[in-house]
Amino acid sequence: MKKNSYKGLASLTVILGIVLLWNVLKPEEEVDFSADIKPIINKHCIACHGGVKKNGGFSLLFEEEALGDTESGKPAIIPGNASGSELIRLLKVDDPELRMPYKKNKLSSGEINLLTKWIDQGAKWGRHWAYTLPDKVEVPTINAEAGFSLEPASDFLKNNIDHFVWARLEDKALEPNPPAEKNLIARRLALDIAGLPPTTDFLDRFENGQLGYEAYVDSLLAQKTYGEKWASWWLDLARYADSKGYEKDMGRSIWKYRDWVIDAFNKDLSYDQFTIEQLAGDLLPQPDTDQLIATAFHRNTMNNDEGGTDDEEYRVATVIDRVNTTFEVWQSTAIGCVQCHGHPYDPFKQEEYYNLMAFFNNSRDEDTPSESPLLKFYTPEQQEKVNQVVTWVTKNGNKELASRYNDFLQFTEPVYKSHFFKNFVNSVYDDHAAVNFWDNGNCIIENAYTNEADFVYLNYRSHYDGTKVTIREKNADGPILAEFTINKSKGNTTSQFPIKKKDAQTDLYIETQNNSVKKEVTVLSVYWVAFLNGIPGQGRPEWNSINSMFVEALNAKVETTPIMAENPNYMRRTTQVFDRGSWLAKTDTVYPDTPKSLNAWNPNWSKDRLGLAKWIVDKKNPLTARTLVNRVWHQIFGRGLVSTIEDIGSQSDAPSHPALLDWLSLRLMNEHNWSVKALIKEIVMSGTYRQSSESSPNMYQIDPENEFYARGPRIRLSAEQIRDQALAVSGLLSNKMYGPGVMPPQPEGVWQTVYNGSKWVESKGEDRYRRGVYTYLKRTSPYPSFLTFDAGSREVCMIRRTVTNTPLQALVTLNDPVYLEASYQLAKNTAVSNDIDQSISQAYTRAIHASIEAPTLKALKELYEISLDEFSENPEATKLLLHLENEPSPELSALTIVANAIMNLDEFLTKA
Amino acid sequence: MKKDILERLIQEKLNREVQAKTRRHFIKNCTQGIGGLALSSIFMGCDPLGKPSPKKQIAFSERDLNPLATLAPHYNPKVKSVIYLHMAGAPSQLEMFDFKPKLHKLHGQDCPQSLLEGKKFAFIKGTPKLMGPQAEFVQEGESGNWVSNFLPHFKKVVDEVAFLKAVHTDQFNHGPAQLFMHTGSARLGRPSIGAWATYGLGSVNQNLPGFVVLTSGGHAPDAGKSVWGSGFLPSVYQGVQCRSKGDPVLYIKDPKGVSRDLKKSTIDAINTINKEEYVKYADPEILARINQYEMAYRMQIAVPEVMDINSEPEHIKQMYGVEPGKESFANNCLLARKLVEDGVRFVQLFDWGWDTHGNIREGSIDLGLRNKCGEIDRPITALILDLKQRGLLDETLIVWGGEFGRTPMQENRGNKKMQYKGRDHHGDAFTMWMAGGGVKGGASHGKTDDIGFSGIEGQVSVHDVHATIMHLLGFNHEQFTFEFQGRHFRLTDVEGEIIKEILA
Repeated sequence: MKKNSYKGLASLTVILGIVLLWNVLKPEEEVDFSADIKPIINKHCIACHGGVKKNGGFSLLFEEEALGDTESGKPAIIPGNASGSELIRLLKVDDPELRMPYKKNKLSSGEINLLTKWIDQGAKWGRHWAYTLPDKVEVPTINAEAGFSLEPASDFLKNNIDHFVWARLEDKALEPNPPAEKNLIARRLALDIAGLPPTTDFLDRFENGQLGYEAYVDSLLAQKTYGEKWASWWLDLARYADSKGYEKDMGRSIWKYRDWVIDAFNKDLSYDQFTIEQLAGDLLPQPDTDQLIATAFHRNTMNNDEGGTDDEEYRVATVIDRVNTTFEVWQSTAIGCVQCHGHPYDPFKQEEYYNLMAFFNNSRDEDTPSESPLLKFYTPEQQEKVNQVVTWVTKNGNKELASRYNDFLQFTEPVYKSHFFKNFVNSVYDDHAAVNFWDNGNCIIENAYTNEADFVYLNYRSHYDGTKVTIREKNADGPILAEFTINKSKGNTTSQFPIKKKDAQTDLYIETQNNSVKKEVTVLSVYWVAFLNGIPGQGRPEWNSINSMFVEALNAKVETTPIMAENPNYMRRTTQVFDRGSWLAKTDTVYPDTPKSLNAWNPNWSKDRLGLAKWIVDKKNPLTARTLVNRVWHQIFGRGLVSTIEDIGSQSDAPSHPALLDWLSLRLMNEHNWSVKALIKEIVMSGTYRQSSESSPNMYQIDPENEFYARGPRIRLSAEQIRDQALAVSGLLSNKMYGPGVMPPQPEGVWQTVYNGSKWVESKGEDRYRRGVYTYLKRTSPYPSFLTFDAGSREVCMIRRTVTNTPLQALVTLNDPVYLEASYQLAKNTAVSNDIDQSISQAYTRAIHASIEAPTLKALKELYEISLDEFSENPEATKLLLHLENEPSPELSALTIVANAIMNLDEFLTKA
Repeated sequence: MKKDILERLIQEKLNREVQAKTRRHFIKNCTQGIGGLALSSIFMGCDPLGKPSPKKQIAFSERDLNPLATLAPHYNPKVKSVIYLHMAGAPSQLEMFDFKPKLHKLHGQDCPQSLLEGKKFAFIKGTPKLMGPQAEFVQEGESGNWVSNFLPHFKKVVDEVAFLKAVHTDQFNHGPAQLFMHTGSARLGRPSIGAWATYGLGSVNQNLPGFVVLTSGGHAPDAGKSVWGSGFLPSVYQGVQCRSKGDPVLYIKDPKGVSRDLKKSTIDAINTINKEEYVKYADPEILARINQYEMAYRMQIAVPEVMDINSEPEHIKQMYGVEPGKESFANNCLLARKLVEDGVRFVQLFDWGWDTHGNIREGSIDLGLRNKCGEIDRPITALILDLKQRGLLDETLIVWGGEFGRTPMQENRGNKKMQYKGRDHHGDAFTMWMAGGGVKGGASHGKTDDIGFSGIEGQVSVHDVHATIMHLLGFNHEQFTFEFQGRHFRLTDVEGEIIKEILA
């Protein structure tokens, strides 16, 4: 025994000796930082010597820190001199108290060798692959002789994507599957592109060859349903919902943004423009209405109306969410970590987080219940008057004034909301973002810029007549700037009062008198105050009517959508670093800037959201195109080329096909001009995509995640798709587009929110059968069956819907009245009198888009017979099941049960 | 043919017990969950703890087919189930458990400025007045712990309970504070305690959801469904709300006109065809689906059964004070017992209506709070006694608390005297308690100052409470992580210490 182990040890030593000798003698290869060194650092060192902890004053995150002096006063790494480097010495020490990694196992000799070699070769710092993008990627050529026989190759090699995939398959000695059957690929394409199964006609034309593969793809991409399908995906990223979130979770009218996304996909708005408009549409020169609506992307943040919450705290939370979401959506980077400390492993510094925050910290929204700024949608008659006002101001005033009038009419900013009020005497800051004044009340509007205006505008509410309001400069003793009387109002009202011209930024003292009421009774609630020069051309005969049109427009009841609007300079906020991420502990002041480890800033860009958006879609940005390519690929294949679709960076998984990811990204930017449709088309035109998804236990063992693409994708459909498909195949689906969220039937008592009177009011008519993308989404209580099928509540950006497989899902498709109604309609539409086989086959084909196979028909027919017996014996059950039917029959009941079974088949729920 | 397929299925299942095939997140956590695991751990099977052991191979395989299959935690657990009683709105510790005679003496005096400086309150403005306890206190049980006369029944179980008198939170608005209390973060997106527990342990009873939520008081909690959400964990681990009105679980009832037998035949037909599908595609998701459909059928029987309190004997119903057919906290307590008895891992009760500002009668400290206490006193006492008499208390953890506490000052919303007596939100010091397996009954840990404003001894944070719950379930809270967006997340974030003082 002992002898044997000696023997073993001896032979091990020999092997080790050979290995070491080989290492010494073999030609010196250049050690690659990203491939060889960074993984060792990330695995063993970064936790204590990274962005969070820098023990011993040593960090391996940035080159300058790694090569710089440590606490000992000396550097730990001396390039070119491994034996003199403290780092290597400490890796080799025997004393576990001194050795690194501290109190962990010693690094393997292979790892130590690599580090030694790397330092001896000069400790060259490399950039991680994620943060550099090559200029060009060669498409691999296929060597027809090696690898596979030519036959599968000709079926498989449809476009350049397949060349990259082929190379990897060859490495793994895998053969691709043959192409999927026509009906299956037709269904797969329709679900992937338009989110719905193909209509019978359309499928027929494809199957009988009238429509070629490419023509079929093109016509799917041209359908309006394409925009709805891809909007569903984008809206998860945009955290779009129809309510504000948090405790009260009141409704929010922001559906025009959802419609904008659908249209943007349908008209194939290039992804760079799509990005710019959403992040900074308001900052474009003379933005049109659509470009303003697009900025609602960042108004999908939550708004906290809970009593007693600090609006500034939640405004800051919103800004933080915008920074994090922007980086999650466009850069596959969880920048949120950097809020409290340097990034633990990616090359981002804490200050850089606040540089980014400075881009977003200067918008007008302030977590008020009104959600101002709101873009107003006037009726045509109202718009006519608005146009007259703007035309008048343009003609009689100047361009600058006209633009201010235009903004004020479009979204009523800039205004001083109650946040600017302080020093309350007989007045109080009310929880609904108003200031309530009692008799003899006063307070200060802090540091207001009256802008040489000759009119002050007040948005207020009052239950009493005769409240005298005085506005003075600075304080109670300051000169009077305005005096006026406010009477009882109908709800919130905006009124115009003359004010003395003043070009200064100063505190304003505002005071109320009304002795007709008791003490502590609110005589006036002020929501905001604004200053604006009067309409020019005063004295001309039309002036009065133009002026009243203006005030009328300010008070018009209109549809609105929250949008982004930038602060004017006199309201600009400073941005400071938060110590350990706490918004109350503000430290150094910072200015807008982008992380140094990414693409350089172009000095021509403005240092605002617009500049940031341009930086994101700059062709030098290494992450934007890759992120999009990776996520579109994930939508189609169920797995990203980088499988961690949330994260492309130093902790992410390595790409399965790095060259393909880069090739597609470059092609998207340089050849497809950021066309998302072109990207999708390129992917689905590939032989990789067209493969059959059939497999064997053996294949699953070799490639459980289909990382090598020796078979086509097979994924369970999304929450919306499952419902849409059931409605589509049963003929119930409405093709109505756009508009406010709809409320299809859901079980009673699902909505139970605190302090919120809103109710789920079941939609009528075709609105009950709209696509899932139009279903009203209340954040604290989303449509229940969607939640069960892994849709989110859209409170924050959701990049991946983790696909689960649960009994509750079975209960939805078996028992939810939506699926029962669809089953009944499907049965009714496909029933053929006196031919059960034919009826079942038709129902199956209509739903699954395949002809029925014998064992399936047998199983369904058995179910039919059992059902028929039951319903024949029990006419009451027939009536109950077919409560929507005028002439309920046992036959139709039995076929309904069969149709419901079909809608629960794996084939139905899955894209194969 | 059918036999043939089934044999293949069984063979396939056996194969799977030695091979790793699972969804991405499991593998990910398996190989990277706890740093430094060898790549070969892929073949060790996946459990969320990333701890390779031969036993886990089987667990892994079962998890693949059934995400709620049971798994062993890090070390021997003290309890199998948790019943968490949350009083949404935040109950006043000063009228229930934290007796402050000195505050009584200071009643009506201005609150010292030193306490107000740099503090933020939800509604209190200017200088509020101190308000003495609005209940009377007595020492109860062998422990001699204080309980107020708002809770006359509770004295029977006071020696079963370990009090935490100086819990603190940094949130003072309901929504964020509830989120913090249940997910360890005031911002959205993190999994709730129940989701973590079910993810880590699975569920014993496969016919019932592993994580059940019951609400009473007429409203869902302020923070919405996120307080029982699964955050970045797979949605299968989120709490399932069971309701006393309507279907106990959404869509659990068969459609009208469909009998149980017919449902069985339907599922049989579906599964027969799905087995054919599996032969063609070999996708393990199909096997999982077959499993889920069978489970759904069993769940349809098991859920209504466990949710039916009428089947309980009369004396038990009386003991809890249930009101059949209504949505009440008492009913929910009895249901909680039935659920843990049937092997449900985590039962979460929310009772709404504890926000006693004094702005309305129901929300007043003297009248409203007394009523709310009346609604929970008997049921909670019954729950503890009932679990005990069934020998279940030793393997169940009961946690009681709100999202924060209330101020020793009387609220003066809008800087006015209010119509009723009330207290504002206060997170600096409040009371929670735990009872059951592994908990030292009769203990009282932590002290507040003379007026109950701040903790002065044994202060514990929300993270500490979480660490303790995890500990009792058998987890090292620092090692129980889930990788998401490149970071290892845990319930206790980067904090949390086990509160050893209340452990048996």
